[in-house]
Amino acid sequence: MESFIVRYRNLVVLLVVLVAQIVGLAVQVRRTNNGQSTLDPVDQKGVRLIRLWANAVISPPEQLIHSTKLGVVNLWTNYFALWSVRQQNQDLQKTIDRLRLEQASLLEDAKQGQRLQTMLGFEQKYIYTTIPAQVYGSAGSDRSHVFYIDKGSSDGLKPDMAVITADGIVGKVRDVFSHTAQVLEINDATSGAGVILESTRIRGILRGDALGRLAIVSIMADQRIQPGERVLTAGGDMVFPRGLAVGVVEKVVRDPDRDGFINVILKPAAHLDRLDEVMVITSTEPRFSTQQQQDLATSESEKGSEAAAIKDQAIKDQMKASEMMGEKLPGLTDPNLPADKQPLNDSTPPNSVPQPPQPLHPDRFSPSAATVTEVKPKETTKDDTETKPRTKSPSATAVAHPRNGAAQPEAAKPKTPAAPRRNP
Amino acid sequence: MSWFGNDSRRDVEVHRYPLLIYVLLPLAALVLQAWLPRIIGPYIWFDLPLVVTIYFALGRRNPMQGTLLGMAMGLFEDALSHRAIGINGLAKTIAGFLAGSVGIRIEVDNQTIRLLLGFALSWLSSAIYLFVNRFLLGLPMEWNWLTELFRAVGNTLIVLVLFPLLDRMQVRD
Repeated sequence: MESFIVRYRNLVVLLVVLVAQIVGLAVQVRRTNNGQSTLDPVDQKGVRLIRLWANAVISPPEQLIHSTKLGVVNLWTNYFALWSVRQQNQDLQKTIDRLRLEQASLLEDAKQGQRLQTMLGFEQKYIYTTIPAQVYGSAGSDRSHVFYIDKGSSDGLKPDMAVITADGIVGKVRDVFSHTAQVLEINDATSGAGVILESTRIRGILRGDALGRLAIVSIMADQRIQPGERVLTAGGDMVFPRGLAVGVVEKVVRDPDRDGFINVILKPAAHLDRLDEVMVITSTEPRFSTQQQQDLATSESEKGSEAAAIKDQAIKDQMKASEMMGEKLPGLTDPNLPADKQPLNDSTPPNSVPQPPQPLHPDRFSPSAATVTEVKPKETTKDDTETKPRTKSPSATAVAHPRNGAAQPEAAKPKTPAAPRRNP
Repeated sequence: MSWFGNDSRRDVEVHRYPLLIYVLLPLAALVLQAWLPRIIGPYIWFDLPLVVTIYFALGRRNPMQGTLLGMAMGLFEDALSHRAIGINGLAKTIAGFLAGSVGIRIEVDNQTIRLLLGFALSWLSSAIYLFVNRFLLGLPMEWNWLTELFRAVGNTLIVLVLFPLLDRMQVRD
């Protein structure tokens, strides 16, 4: 027996190694209720330990190479970028100022939308906290679309957190180690996400394929779906918040397995093949972040100061225009009066009633007498009733009578036609 | 059957290397295999761990060493992916064993033979990967033979460049 093992030791070693690995594989695979095999969604303890060891061995040199590459690239690009950075900074500052004002109005709309959603009992998740992370490595095979980032559980990462870039969604955190994490890309065949077409509002499930393409699979054929339409996250998969960019429709193909269904091939919004930096959404909250609140306050204050400046300028322009108008209108200036007595500078309220001059010889028709003697008409005609002023004001009496002779009460009629007319 | 385990018939030179090469070269292959796809994008038409496995198995002319090295490289690759651990391990174990076994029988310093072996073992590795994944485990998997052809060609080109460079690191008596 011993001689057999020695003689065929290479073959024996091969068989032992193969059997050990096959047993290890059998432990990892489960059979589902519908008879299909699948991998455990969560690694077992032993499997996770192997991944941890492999990551501990490969990650440090990989990160070293990656940081060296980044250092060289940064050194090179920053040298040339500094030539125009001042001008860019000024341009960007102007853009920021403009965007802040725009953001203020948009945030107001969003706030209103949130209030309405709250009233309707619908809680919408918004991105609250993100952690930036560097991509430093991958699985090294196109059969497994995963990559590694330099943030882990010590930074607050957990499995199933969404990973995005400014362009769109990238994937989700799959395995988390202490200082690194493995991210499953959305174009992997085992990945999935709920998506919605922006204009047609058709919902579907996003999948990857062996070639690393993105597709919304098995949706009912619909003529409205056209290339170029944007696709967003639907928010129902408990991973990605709603409304993030996924990609655009590239083409529509028939589902080879099901008649009447189609697959929509997408062009991803994020550059999945050339990722350097990503953001991990660590929490979503139905409210604005502190930073957004600060931005809102800043933009509001800027908007307020700008409005006040505009108002001051308008008042100055108005005053200047009235001065020019006053100079051009001769009736408003009296050359015989000093400057402070000019009508334009008269501070008397314009609507005040002027007092009539006192008569030299007051009689019962004079205004002062009318205040003492109450005028009581003996008889009034119908016309008189309709037109007679019912006021006892002296000025009203004095002014109204001469202008409306028919309305004069008999007791107040002058005896002579040459009765003096009081003209204030 | 005798060539499966009898290394008493080895009458050709066994390549020897400094200890550091045995450690650093596989490690560098694994690190570069994981890092380069971030640089060159989706066209990962090479398998550096497989190439290194073939090189050491051929040069050492030892099926057992080829088996163990192939297993280690494959398991590392599997561990870095999100798939089951052992699929690449099985493929590279068999590839390493065959390369070591062939190294006993034929002259492997010939560049043409190296190229042919590199191409053939690359195909074999892909075929074993597909067999284990789809038929042994029953896992759903899409497959594109054209990609595997490109990968085999890529590995062959790397063999063409890398093997002569690594030969210079041999320890010669």
